[in-house]
Amino acid sequence: MRLNLHQFNLLNLAVLLVLTTHFGHLPLWMDAAGLAIVGARWLQRRYRPQWGATPVWIRLPLTLGLPVAVIAQYGTLLGLEPGSVLAIGMLILKLSESEKVRDARAALTFAGFVLMAALLFERNLINAAHVALAVVPLFVCMRALEPRPTDAVGGGPDLWHSTRSTVLGLTAAIPLTLVVFVFMPRLAQPLWGAPSNEEARTGVSDTMAPGQFAELMVDDSPAFRVQFASGQPPLPAQRYWRGLVLNRFDGLTWTRTESASARLEDGDLKLLSAPIEYELTLEPTQQRWLFPLDVPTRAPERFARNADLTLVGFRPLSAVQRFSLSSVLEYRLEGLTPMRRQAALNMPYGFNPRLQELGAQWRQQYGGDAQRIVQAALKLYHDEFSYTLTPPVLGRDGMDDFLFETRAGYCEHFSSSFANLMRAAGVPARVVVGYQGGYWNADGSYLLIRQSDAHAWNEVWLDGRWQRIDPTAAVRPERVALGSRAANSGETRWYRAQWLLDLRNRWDLANQMWNEVIVQFDTLRQQGLLRNFGVERANWNQLALAFGIASSILMLLGLYWALRRERQQSDTLDQAYHHLCRRLAAAGVARAAQEGPISYLRRVCQHLPQAAAELEGLFADYVRLRYALPEPDAAGSREFSRAVRRFKPAGNHS
Amino acid sequence: MTSTTSATPAALPAELRTNLDRAVAQVNSVVLGKAAQVNLAFVSLLAAGHLLIEDLPGVGKTTLAHALAATLDLSFQRVQFTSDLLPSDIIGVSIFERDQNRFEFHPGPLFAQLVLADEINRATPKTQSALLEAMAEQQVTVDGRSHALPAPFFVVATQNPLDLAGTYPLPDSQLDRFLLRISLDYPSREAERELLTSANRQQIIAKLVPCMNAADIQLLREQAAAVVASAALIDYVQGLIALTRAHAEIRIGLSPRAGLALLMAARSHALIAGRNYCLPEDVQAVFVPVAAHRLTLSGAGTRDRVLLAKALLNEVAVR
Repeated sequence: MRLNLHQFNLLNLAVLLVLTTHFGHLPLWMDAAGLAIVGARWLQRRYRPQWGATPVWIRLPLTLGLPVAVIAQYGTLLGLEPGSVLAIGMLILKLSESEKVRDARAALTFAGFVLMAALLFERNLINAAHVALAVVPLFVCMRALEPRPTDAVGGGPDLWHSTRSTVLGLTAAIPLTLVVFVFMPRLAQPLWGAPSNEEARTGVSDTMAPGQFAELMVDDSPAFRVQFASGQPPLPAQRYWRGLVLNRFDGLTWTRTESASARLEDGDLKLLSAPIEYELTLEPTQQRWLFPLDVPTRAPERFARNADLTLVGFRPLSAVQRFSLSSVLEYRLEGLTPMRRQAALNMPYGFNPRLQELGAQWRQQYGGDAQRIVQAALKLYHDEFSYTLTPPVLGRDGMDDFLFETRAGYCEHFSSSFANLMRAAGVPARVVVGYQGGYWNADGSYLLIRQSDAHAWNEVWLDGRWQRIDPTAAVRPERVALGSRAANSGETRWYRAQWLLDLRNRWDLANQMWNEVIVQFDTLRQQGLLRNFGVERANWNQLALAFGIASSILMLLGLYWALRRERQQSDTLDQAYHHLCRRLAAAGVARAAQEGPISYLRRVCQHLPQAAAELEGLFADYVRLRYALPEPDAAGSREFSRAVRRFKPAGNHS
Repeated sequence: MTSTTSATPAALPAELRTNLDRAVAQVNSVVLGKAAQVNLAFVSLLAAGHLLIEDLPGVGKTTLAHALAATLDLSFQRVQFTSDLLPSDIIGVSIFERDQNRFEFHPGPLFAQLVLADEINRATPKTQSALLEAMAEQQVTVDGRSHALPAPFFVVATQNPLDLAGTYPLPDSQLDRFLLRISLDYPSREAERELLTSANRQQIIAKLVPCMNAADIQLLREQAAAVVASAALIDYVQGLIALTRAHAEIRIGLSPRAGLALLMAARSHALIAGRNYCLPEDVQAVFVPVAAHRLTLSGAGTRDRVLLAKALLNEVAVR
């Protein structure tokens, strides 16, 4: 059936709304070409409908040109962006050739797919709302393609009717959606684990270069989650997640040295407190190391514990993985061999002369008393330095510029300059990179560590052992006490107006809740929620079972509701007759709702001649009970019911 | 169809049954390939209703009426309606009889058991009304005196499609006087061939022998009224009526009288088919001729009344 103008307009509108969810991340040529094609087609259909569907000599070059253009833009057809551009292009082409109801159905179905693809790019509140809104016209249009029950042959279905039944349908779907959301077994990775920019999110890496942490600190995506066996997390100031120890500084970048991969010698580490058992679920990093809490007491399988107490594995972590770890917060780490001591004192030659000078001065002033040197440095930081995520640019002698000129920065600057300063003063020091803090999720009873919790601090050889010194804490104690969010909040200088700040905070809260409740509702949270109902450690099978049961109940309720009226009207005879009709339908001859018994019998007998005699008897019984008597008698109805059950449609009729 | 209903034999006396079947067969032998329409003509007769045949000139409207007249042993009158036909021309006039010194009523052609009113929409509304009134009341009143029409009184009217020149369309309220409105349509290829090759219809009709008399018809009418309409069937009829009243394309749905007519026609249809109970198929067979001319469209749709009535049948489920 050809689309009428009303349906055509609705189709174009619905698909255009779907496309708006993608306009932001499409290449400009795609936006322009898409709008041009849709517009041209709309004008043609509006003013020259007699031209009919788009001719093949227009469609073919466009269809062939699309993948070529995508390859020209991205170099490939695979991946999230090229893939979605390809899909969107196909949708636009499908729309442009839609002339019949069948085309429109295909276009709308595909539009639904494209719409969901918008969620692969962004899953924030605005985008989700946008997608949810665009779903409505899509379904309205789908509804408008179907004839209304009361005008089987023609007549325009009106917008109001389509909208009303769509909204009713979507509303009715909400309970099932909630059930699916809560009980659908979660995959460790999102189903659409599309090869996107997420893969490039390496988190803390094995080098520390200027600007690297600033990028991480504005990234709110989760790095890993931790569940403690005791159920309670350590204090915020104790939550140091050690990633790697960086030993070598070349004037610009901190890197690991070969000696750092040496194994831990027996006796170098003494544990002074009870170990804390916990489970750490790490998002894929494509790197090889873990982020244990402070000092791990053992290495998990396929990981080695190095002399600097880091856990390094044999292959990159490319999927979400869970590790059972144990750590201590009080310990004594010794074992500074001369070679390691030398490594912890090395400085690049010819860089940062003023820093060298200050170090030498302190060395002389405090007579090599490491403790006092550290105190002097921390006092200097505390008194003179400020914390900012947007520090001024540093020159060649970066540490000099930072220490004596700009005096503003964040953990990277503080830890780097502090280590340099200590080394200049003759105190062995090194940089540790990892995460600090974490958000305690009380509902899920787990600690969420985000990329924005990335941190760098120092370890200094004091009193014959390595001790953690965090110069950032000296500058901005709330970074350690309250977390990166609190530390970074002062950065919003351009939002000076209080009302704007309030609004932004509220919006942030809404987004935060959206993230917490919807986007990050993952396996752990699911379990946390289910635990409230006495389900401990629900596994995949149990979830599938619960999901199946819950959705079955809902569907049965819906079915009951839909059939309630019919059920009230039907009796034994009706049930038996409908049973017979269903069995005949299964044998290949379905009864139309408006078909009377004798017309139906005639049709059935043509299809199943071998059962004709038996069927004629059955139908005669039914007709007699149903129509030859004012009301069917109960005994006859039961007898008919039994006869129907005995009846075999004799299988095939071929 | 009859083979499946052997469980409940029709309570019709065998002779009556034979007469009815013969009558139907006889009309069918004249009007070729129109079994459904012939059936409906008998439905109209047995349901004590009147029949309106609407179609183009020359498709056999009059032939059908003549065949009916020849088959039924009834007094027959034919009135050709023209634009100058007056009411008194059909119902009769009172004329002063000098020798008796009083007015004497001279019955018009309406005083017959079977009246063929040909091309009624060529007459003026005044004359149409006179006919339709007589049909409704079974009597005519002239000069304050009522004169009963004979029984049975069966009018077969024909009319040309309303868009032909020189017609006065019958108002909806008067169309309601006709139980059924049917159309004959062109014959099928085979029927037409037989028509062209066989003898003249007039000659065939002249040779017909009547096989049903007034008493038979009276008995059949009583039997038809006694045909069982079960609760399920009444449900179905009510479903159809309710749909005509709720449908967007229909301004005025079926009246209660139309509902009664539908059920009565269905009963007659069942009787002719040899059953003493009504099936949904009977209702479906008579629904369009009963309902289509009684629907007033709202103008929301593009379908005419017949197409719409056919579509309505597809929207009410038989349980």
